[in-house]
Amino acid sequence: MPAKAILSVQGVSKSFGGLKALRNVNLTVEENSIHAIIGPNGAGKSTLLNILVGLIAADEGVILYDGSPLTGLSPYKIIQKGIARVFQTPQIFPALSLLENVAIAAFARRDGQFGIKMREALRPGHPVLEEAADILHHVGLAAYMSEKAQYLSRGDKRRLELALCLVSKPRLLLLDEPTAGMSRHDTNRTIDLLRALSRQGMTKIIIEHDMHVVFSLADRISVLAQGHVIAEGHPEAVRADARVQEAYLGGVHAQ
Amino acid sequence: MILPLLVPVNSVPTKWGYKAQSHPPLAPWRECWGSPWTEGVFVNAYILQFLTGLQLGAIYALIALGLTLIFGTLGVVNFAHGALYILAAYAAVLVATKIGFLWAVVLVPSALFCFGIVLERGLIRFFYSRPHTDQILVTFGLAMVNEEMLKWIFGASNIPFSLPRWGAGNTILYGLGVVVPAPIPGLRIPLPLVQGFIFYPTWRLLLILVAFCTVLGLFILLQFTRFGLVVRAGRREPEMLRFLGVNITQCFTVVFGLGCMIAGIAGVFGGPITQVSPGVGMALLVPSFLVVVIGGMGSLAGALVAAVMLGMALAFTAELAALQQIIIYLVAVVVLLVRPRGLFGQKGVFE
Amino acid sequence: MTDDMSVLQAARSSASPTLRPRGLGGRDYVVISAFALVILTMPMWILTIGGYEALATKIVIWGLFALGFDIMLGFTGYLSFGHAAFFGTAAYATGLSLKHLTPNLLPALGISIVTAVLIGGLIGVLSLRRSGIYFSILSLAFAEMLHAAALSIFQQYTGGDNGLTGLPLPMLFGLQMQGIAVFYVAAVLLIIGFAVAWKIKRAPFGLMLRAIKENPLRLEYAGINIWAYKMAAFMISTVYAGIAGFLMVVYQPYVATQYVHWSTSGEVVIMSVIGGVGTLVGPILGAGFMLYFENVVQAIIGEQWRLVLGFVFVCVVIFLPGGFVALGHTIWHRLGHLVRSRRRNVSDMETDSETSGRSSARAGAYTSGEHDAC
Repeated sequence: MPAKAILSVQGVSKSFGGLKALRNVNLTVEENSIHAIIGPNGAGKSTLLNILVGLIAADEGVILYDGSPLTGLSPYKIIQKGIARVFQTPQIFPALSLLENVAIAAFARRDGQFGIKMREALRPGHPVLEEAADILHHVGLAAYMSEKAQYLSRGDKRRLELALCLVSKPRLLLLDEPTAGMSRHDTNRTIDLLRALSRQGMTKIIIEHDMHVVFSLADRISVLAQGHVIAEGHPEAVRADARVQEAYLGGVHAQ
Repeated sequence: MILPLLVPVNSVPTKWGYKAQSHPPLAPWRECWGSPWTEGVFVNAYILQFLTGLQLGAIYALIALGLTLIFGTLGVVNFAHGALYILAAYAAVLVATKIGFLWAVVLVPSALFCFGIVLERGLIRFFYSRPHTDQILVTFGLAMVNEEMLKWIFGASNIPFSLPRWGAGNTILYGLGVVVPAPIPGLRIPLPLVQGFIFYPTWRLLLILVAFCTVLGLFILLQFTRFGLVVRAGRREPEMLRFLGVNITQCFTVVFGLGCMIAGIAGVFGGPITQVSPGVGMALLVPSFLVVVIGGMGSLAGALVAAVMLGMALAFTAELAALQQIIIYLVAVVVLLVRPRGLFGQKGVFE
Repeated sequence: MTDDMSVLQAARSSASPTLRPRGLGGRDYVVISAFALVILTMPMWILTIGGYEALATKIVIWGLFALGFDIMLGFTGYLSFGHAAFFGTAAYATGLSLKHLTPNLLPALGISIVTAVLIGGLIGVLSLRRSGIYFSILSLAFAEMLHAAALSIFQQYTGGDNGLTGLPLPMLFGLQMQGIAVFYVAAVLLIIGFAVAWKIKRAPFGLMLRAIKENPLRLEYAGINIWAYKMAAFMISTVYAGIAGFLMVVYQPYVATQYVHWSTSGEVVIMSVIGGVGTLVGPILGAGFMLYFENVVQAIIGEQWRLVLGFVFVCVVIFLPGGFVALGHTIWHRLGHLVRSRRRNVSDMETDSETSGRSSARAGAYTSGEHDAC
């Protein structure tokens, strides 16, 4: 059964001065799958991600999301199409309470890119605040509801960030090294968390270094090296690929 | 706001600043003995404007250098830099009238260096981790307190800063092969391209020389000494240096003191030109900040180039008063919008 | 582990409740009413602390200016050093309207608002493309440009150095605007301004602005058009500044070039910071404090009042970043603790610590700013 491609990267190239960060990258991500992009440092993974979300413009090529191109759109417009991004360092609103954090995401979903709603007040009983409180209960962070987000542990910040992303009910979730700097225990928890997310209606693209994470989760893997996709396919096929092993020079972790 | 540098001896104070007289600031030399050689000669006029541009740029350069050095190394936005300048000018007046000008040249910058160290240890270092807004606010507050203190002690109007005898008067710049009549007093300096001979205030030439030497000295310090190496490395990777056992804290303190010292030098030599009154400090700060921004925050070469450019722009638009007022702001706005990192700044800082 | 899984399931499937969003509540109206009362009675109580009626008017005018400024600094986190541009140009516009059009207030008010919107829009579009210190410097540069232009290019309109003189006494449909009448016009505008600002603070709009201050990156990646919000906040703040400029001319029929000078911007910064940025009452309090110092304390300590004020400002920035309002909160809570702990010792009196504990868990759950409802 041919799966629909939710994201299609076609011939994308990008240079920074004399440095060719991406050379004719071609990539297809199937809907509702978990697609990992791996590669050694400097391979261009972050650049590709940044082009995808509209932070930088590609020199050549086009990225199609659901059939329509993303070129030239500002980041927030791209996000509005149903994409969410989890950052390497958890990006949350530090001096605001957890409830406010989630409420912001909820309002963003409800009101769109810009909406000055002056008739409402954020008082107890406001539906969006109730919704945010519920989400926090389910996430298990309800105890910290009125605490400022900056005081959370890193793992909890990551959970909060994930909650923020999921409030907007994204169709495509981009995870930028979600387990960076985590202990083995936290990494496993994150893997379970991601695995538990329903596949229906949500595609995930994970950029990762940690092979354990990649092989636990991914349906398909694309390997990026020196700005070019050198291999793509099912995890087992990629693992056995000679070019991949060469690119990593022993960086592939044993299971 | 009239830029205080365009305040020659014959300026008129108004309630909110100084108003230049109707003739352009290059006038002084014309009031000296005219000479059939000097009147209406194109090249000469250009040379004079060029020199004025250098002189105007010199003061801005010194202040901007201190600003950008402190920002580039410590990451602190110092709105009190103009206050340091005028503080030095006042101190110079005091020392010069009591003891002598040459003593002022030695003592005032040293005093300002020490003051800078005290200030850094006592206050500024607590603001390294605070947001830039807080840094701006606290240094702005300091500048305000400084201005009011000076107003209290010395009064709100100008205090005269008389030039030492050897520095007053004009220098005669003469072209090659020209013979300057003997009775005319003044230092004679040959300068190719000059038609006949022209007069230029000695003090302004001295200021250019002093600024040049200071910049050179700073350059040598940063490029050829171990301290300079630490400073340059510390700008990029302060944590790494700390890890390597380098006492970066001490380094930061010295750098701040250095920045203050440079402002001190500017105050001693620039005081007679910009006039010494409490409001001059802040009035100089705004254009100096714009110079730093145009050159690139944290870039010393940028500050220098931008300062000279500004000086030139001011000198050459002297005839068009309205344009002259706003030219710095126009350039700053354009630069900030088109290339926010400035001429020589590093990408990623604030972009 | 299981709670993690169901967590996100629930997050994704959270149904939108059938409750309708509610507007301002009783407590908010109490605050606004109390504020209105304090302001409207100011000409009376200010006499008891050595003030006088004209001072009350000035406080109200600068309070409005600072309030608008705080929307940019306290909420959105942008320090503008060029707000004098809007204050001053609106003042000039008002002056010109009074002089050449009609002494009636209302057209002048309209013109000043339009001026503020135009100039604010222009400067905002250009300045808000940058943030942080670049924004501050850009705003300063624009303001200085306007100042220089007012002195030179537009001299014939602005009167140059001497300012705009020869203005007629403003009228409001036959009623002459002097003395207490000016105060009440200004007070009404301030109360309206405060109510609007309070609404903003309590509305989702205010939350978005604070999000911009906290983490614009995350907000952008929540799909929000940050620039639009910034522009909206900026425009609102310039309108406040413009109305303050209008009131200044009504109060004193003369437009000084000082009004577009950066030092005017500096004064509103000082007021906001001393009072407490982000709280709405703070900047107004700061304006009152600064003007009181200028007018009343000066009579006592003489010329050095600005020095003392500058010193206070520096101390506030270093030790008390939340300004006087934060100081007030700290004192209030300390007192509260004292009172509460004493009650616990009395065994037959029901302690309200449980009830207050429950209500604060709910109330405190909302915003860290909830406590700002002073």
